[in-house]
Amino acid sequence: MDRKTKFLYVDDESINTKLIEINFSERYEILIANSGNKGLEVLNANPDTSVVLSDMKMPLMNGLEFIRQAKCRFPDKRYYILSGFDITDEIQDALDTGLIEKYFRKPFNRREIESAIDNES
Amino acid sequence: MEKMKFEHRITLSYLIIGGAWILFSDSILYFLVPDHRLQNELQTFKGWFYVILTGLLFFLFLRKYLNKLRNTEKELNAHKNNLQMMIEEKTRDLAALNEELLSTNDELNQKNDLINIQNKDLRNALRHLKKAQSQLIQSEKMASLGTLTSGIAHEINNPLNFLMGAYNGLDNYFRKYGSKDIDGTTFLLNSMHEGIERASGIVNELGQLSKDNNKLDEVCDIHSVINNCIAVLFDQISSSVNLKKEFSSDAAMVKGNVGKLHQVFLNVLLNAIQAVEEGGEIVIETRIDYDEVVVEISDNGCGIKREFLSQITNPFFTTRTTGDATGLGLYITYSIIREHKGRLEFESTPGQGTRVTITMPNLDNSYGQEN
Repeated sequence: MDRKTKFLYVDDESINTKLIEINFSERYEILIANSGNKGLEVLNANPDTSVVLSDMKMPLMNGLEFIRQAKCRFPDKRYYILSGFDITDEIQDALDTGLIEKYFRKPFNRREIESAIDNES
Repeated sequence: MEKMKFEHRITLSYLIIGGAWILFSDSILYFLVPDHRLQNELQTFKGWFYVILTGLLFFLFLRKYLNKLRNTEKELNAHKNNLQMMIEEKTRDLAALNEELLSTNDELNQKNDLINIQNKDLRNALRHLKKAQSQLIQSEKMASLGTLTSGIAHEINNPLNFLMGAYNGLDNYFRKYGSKDIDGTTFLLNSMHEGIERASGIVNELGQLSKDNNKLDEVCDIHSVINNCIAVLFDQISSSVNLKKEFSSDAAMVKGNVGKLHQVFLNVLLNAIQAVEEGGEIVIETRIDYDEVVVEISDNGCGIKREFLSQITNPFFTTRTTGDATGLGLYITYSIIREHKGRLEFESTPGQGTRVTITMPNLDNSYGQEN
């Protein structure tokens, strides 16, 4: 592996983004955004990002709304949701239609996320 | 003056005319005829004249009177006929009226029958409404519980996410840079991890419990459902109550709604917990009986009175006097079990205990039948 996989994490809580950075930066190149709009900007600046993980509940634009827009512009990336909520109908729909690859529940399980990302790259 | 009767009048007239004749006829004759010979000749004619005059008067009087009588009789007859006709007419009218009344009576009877039927329908409708109302109350309660728990779950899962991130970070740190007391830090990290897992598990169970859907196609592991319920009820079970699990070694899987089945076992277990006293015993036994999953929950608590046994699954039936008892618990349990095509049976002896048996179709077997 010459270069680390580029991994964008979107969450409005800075503790979460910092912790994801600490936990995953050894394995992936972590990009951080604290809103859906920022996330779209980061993707524009880094078109070689291959994995996008987003929190669900955020002000202005929730995780799925952000992913829907992002997928329109960058359909080749893999998208995931990390949420404190139990699986909802909205998330189930996103899984069924292939908008997202997988749904992770908070508190996150590092191994579960790593194996999902690595197995599909 | 009162009019004299006919017989008096005629007699009186006769006496007056006769008397006047005797008294005055001779004097008048002598006055009119002075000749004595002629007087004697006329004496004879005078008698005849008297008879003819009185006869004529009698005839006139009688005729007048009898004519009056005859007219009266004729009028009476006419009245009589009239009356008879009127009576006949009235009788006919009455008969018609009677017939009308009879038919009205029939109609009323029919209407009465109709009203009775409608009454019965209304009673049925009322019963259904009551049932629907209680279901509504319950689903409303479950819906608000669902909103509440999913909100709480999110709020708790987020800080748990911080802890998990920090735990992972620290774990990584110690692996990379080592620890001066590796046993100590490993224990501390493991404790943290265990705490996060447990808290997350409880939040997860709460979510399962209040899952807001009506799907009946989920694969439900009865053993895990019962374990979740025991975990949720943990603080309600007095430490002196002996809770025994005798689970079948085979998996007990049924097809249905995970959330609703949690409600079933929560209700039944809660009843058992409330029935036993300090030092009591609750046994949960599961077994696979051919094509059925059987769960028996027995307690040696206060039991249920015989007369209540047939009523305990009725909506709003409760023997508890406190305000928090809705009398819906076992009704909901019964409704859910029925939705799952299962059976709910109670055996109870007051003072000795109760055994609740829940039987549901075994999922593995039903798969076998479909193929």
